Amino acid sequence: MWAYILRRVLYNIPVYLGIIFLLMAALRVNDPIWGYLGKNASHEAYAAMEKSMGLDQPLLVQFWDFTSGLVTFEEVDGVSRWKAGLAESWSDKGRPVGDLVGDAVWPSLSITVPALVLTSLISITIAILSAYYRGRLPDKVMMVSAVLGMSISFLVYIIFGQYWGAYVLNERIGGEFFAIQGYKSDEPGWWVTYCLLPVLISTIVTMGYDTRFYRAVMVEETGRDYITTARAKGATKRKIMFVHMLKNAMIPIITRIMITLPFLVMGSLLLEVYFGIPGMGRALLQAITTLDFPVAQLLVALFAGLFLLTVILTDVFYALVDPRVRLQ
Amino acid sequence: MKLSARSPLLAVVLCLLAPFSFADPGTTADPGGGSQKEKVLHLPMRSAGPGSLDPILGSTVYDTRSCNYVYETLLQYKYLKRPYELEPLLLEAMPTTEDGLTWNFELKKGVLFHDDECFPGGVGRELVTDDVFYSWRRIVDPAYELKSWWLLKELIEGLDEYKEEQGKRVEAGGAFDYSAPIAGFKKVDDHRFQIVLREPVYRFMWILPMAKLSIVPREAVEKYGTGFSRHPVGTGPFLMKEDDWVTNQSMVFTKNPKYHPDFYPTEWMPEDEELGLHEAAGKRLPFVDRVEVTFFVQENPMWLEFQAGKLDYTQVPAENYLEAFHKRSQRLKKEFAEKGVVSHAVPLLDFIFRAFNMEDPLVGGFEPKQRALRQAIAMATDLYEFNSSFYNGINVIYDGMIPPGMDGYPEDGKGPITWAEADLERARELMVEAGYPNGEGLPVIDYYTSLSGNIPEQAELFKRQLAQIGVQLNLRLQNFAQLIEAVDKKKATMFSFSWSSDYPDAENNLALFYGPNEAPGSNHFNYKRAEYDRLYEQILPMVPSPERTKLLEKMRDMVMADTPYIGSMARTRFYVINPWLKNYKPDETFYNWVKYMDLDESARDL
Repeated sequence: MWAYILRRVLYNIPVYLGIIFLLMAALRVNDPIWGYLGKNASHEAYAAMEKSMGLDQPLLVQFWDFTSGLVTFEEVDGVSRWKAGLAESWSDKGRPVGDLVGDAVWPSLSITVPALVLTSLISITIAILSAYYRGRLPDKVMMVSAVLGMSISFLVYIIFGQYWGAYVLNERIGGEFFAIQGYKSDEPGWWVTYCLLPVLISTIVTMGYDTRFYRAVMVEETGRDYITTARAKGATKRKIMFVHMLKNAMIPIITRIMITLPFLVMGSLLLEVYFGIPGMGRALLQAITTLDFPVAQLLVALFAGLFLLTVILTDVFYALVDPRVRLQ
Repeated sequence: MKLSARSPLLAVVLCLLAPFSFADPGTTADPGGGSQKEKVLHLPMRSAGPGSLDPILGSTVYDTRSCNYVYETLLQYKYLKRPYELEPLLLEAMPTTEDGLTWNFELKKGVLFHDDECFPGGVGRELVTDDVFYSWRRIVDPAYELKSWWLLKELIEGLDEYKEEQGKRVEAGGAFDYSAPIAGFKKVDDHRFQIVLREPVYRFMWILPMAKLSIVPREAVEKYGTGFSRHPVGTGPFLMKEDDWVTNQSMVFTKNPKYHPDFYPTEWMPEDEELGLHEAAGKRLPFVDRVEVTFFVQENPMWLEFQAGKLDYTQVPAENYLEAFHKRSQRLKKEFAEKGVVSHAVPLLDFIFRAFNMEDPLVGGFEPKQRALRQAIAMATDLYEFNSSFYNGINVIYDGMIPPGMDGYPEDGKGPITWAEADLERARELMVEAGYPNGEGLPVIDYYTSLSGNIPEQAELFKRQLAQIGVQLNLRLQNFAQLIEAVDKKKATMFSFSWSSDYPDAENNLALFYGPNEAPGSNHFNYKRAEYDRLYEQILPMVPSPERTKLLEKMRDMVMADTPYIGSMARTRFYVINPWLKNYKPDETFYNWVKYMDLDESARDL
């Protein structure tokens, strides 16, 4: 097993480096310096800024600096700090990128994790019920609702949610139940005030996709031999659904959830932008629109790392439950 | 609680969640969470926030706005006076000169920097002459990317040479010497000094209130290094702790308890009286204890927050304009007026244009045929259609590059040479003169424009208008960084851009056509005409006078005849102000108005 894990890790190192190199090359297609200099640029100022940003170095040197920084630590004021995180943001002067990313992770997670849990619980429940009532009215109603939920733009949910769910609701009750926007984690009840509405919106939007997928998984399971055997042995429909089928259907469900995990850290771009949540999605958007390479590079490197790690873990998980995977 | 009667289920849910919510129960008069005794402003910033609070590193209006809370300049704009006038801020009196070259300055005594650990004992010291010289020397230090150098370039005696010498020194591995002498910096004593200019230049006075020339203490810069961008130490009316700036979200400023005596203006415009802007005359500033600034990347939540009373004022987003105003009369709608909301229309010092690269072999050049092609394109462009389609008809369309309110602006916006109104017949004649009847033989023109807002839609309209005379455009939609790169590298054949004047003098806009300022400088058109350059140099030392105005007009019309751009348009920005916010006269030429703002909490309950 350990050899298998080591092999998977080694395979993924060049993939990881390749992703970072491609990203760095793609970012450098556009020259960020003119944008930073603004309307009164000069060749002199360009040269000074190019030097201070390190862009006067060849791409390979920049690549080496960045990737070596990902695995080295440096002592700052007596504290050992991750070198890649010490680079300074270009659009947020004086701010180490590591601090910026560190501060943005929790606001993102405070929305994405509850949204994932809620969505998964509701979707799995609906999928089971839908499969249970397959072809009958409850199934049809639930699936039509899921398709409807998916068909409406995320943005529409956000705009309506902010207006009706926050502005109008607050006006009517004469207080602030859901904030229109903002994020203050030092206030009592902050999560309900600032996070619950975005979580609900996210859940409504994502639920449609998940429900349909999980239902398809459940329905597929109903045609398996072990279900026929259980039926032949006289097991009740309920027992077949909840004891035998659900257990087997959990593999694709867990796979889907695991693949989602790295995305949780990256937050939700639209929700964070509209709800004023200072999370990773908003940080990444800001970094890309301002061509803030140090931030964009670190965020993508982190995401790529997490994603590859998840893929490795998923492979290991498969190998654990299905020995044939290792042989392949 | 009407809702509970109508929706029992929702009421139950709300009741269950209530103990976990209501972040600030019972303090509706102060939605930001401050205690009732504190006066707390809640202001919006329509961006992801500033990039730096180091005055010389900032380049956006958001940087400038934020710097103005904590830093101060030698001069400031008179808050209520229009047209704009200057007055001393850190100075005892306006600077004096006899020959226009040597300027005498005297600093106010007793102005203290904010208390900060960078000072012995953590107590802010007094601002002195050396701080002014140090702050301005930083502008030429390559460690700060020379981003603000354009302001002082070729202005002060010996400064350019100092920059060269120190640049070489740093290049050779040495340290930048902040004590090396500069001929134009003459210290008389700790509060008096002289600045000697290379040549008399009228704009010198106008750059003194610019945030980039704010005074910073050397101790803070040296202690915090690059972190100084987020750890401002100034003399301003407010101070900010590092933790009070949450990236991409908000900033909080608190009142500077040691702010030097500064008073609400005693001069105002007649129309200010109707709004009560004169009532605080002579009172000590600032009025509020804390300012909470929220960043909004999207306008919709900002607009809702204003309506919910959680922001004291807001700009009116273009898409919400008709929700708040009657289109024809531009008057505030009843539902807003009844709540006591007041509106302000702020004419911006804008020059919005579509430009030609004068070095481009197709659309550039000064030959009659090349000029005719540009004029044909200008004549086919209907700016009024842009105004009504995208700006609710509220923008000002004018001839020339000098925005409304400045010397040199043509009467009613109409100059002797005009391209403002479309004339397709004449445009087609000009196409014949240019050698492209109905566009035959004319290659497709690359038109670079921004991706943001409704600019792509505007580009489509432009494309349709030009197609009427046979001019085909290839739209190149770019983000800001790509667009400015294409323009600075002279790659863009045609492009759309705008210029907001740095100061309210026509010279700032006329500099956009001065040959030596060619791209990547501010002359994005790469317009080069010796006669124009000579006139520009002639007006530099001149103070406002009828003679100067005539020269401004001559330069304006000269450029109009050559048509290196299509325009012009200036935006009018509408602000709505909640009834409890007092003393606010919105402006976008200067940004130190927060210290004048006050709150009347009793007006919240009206």
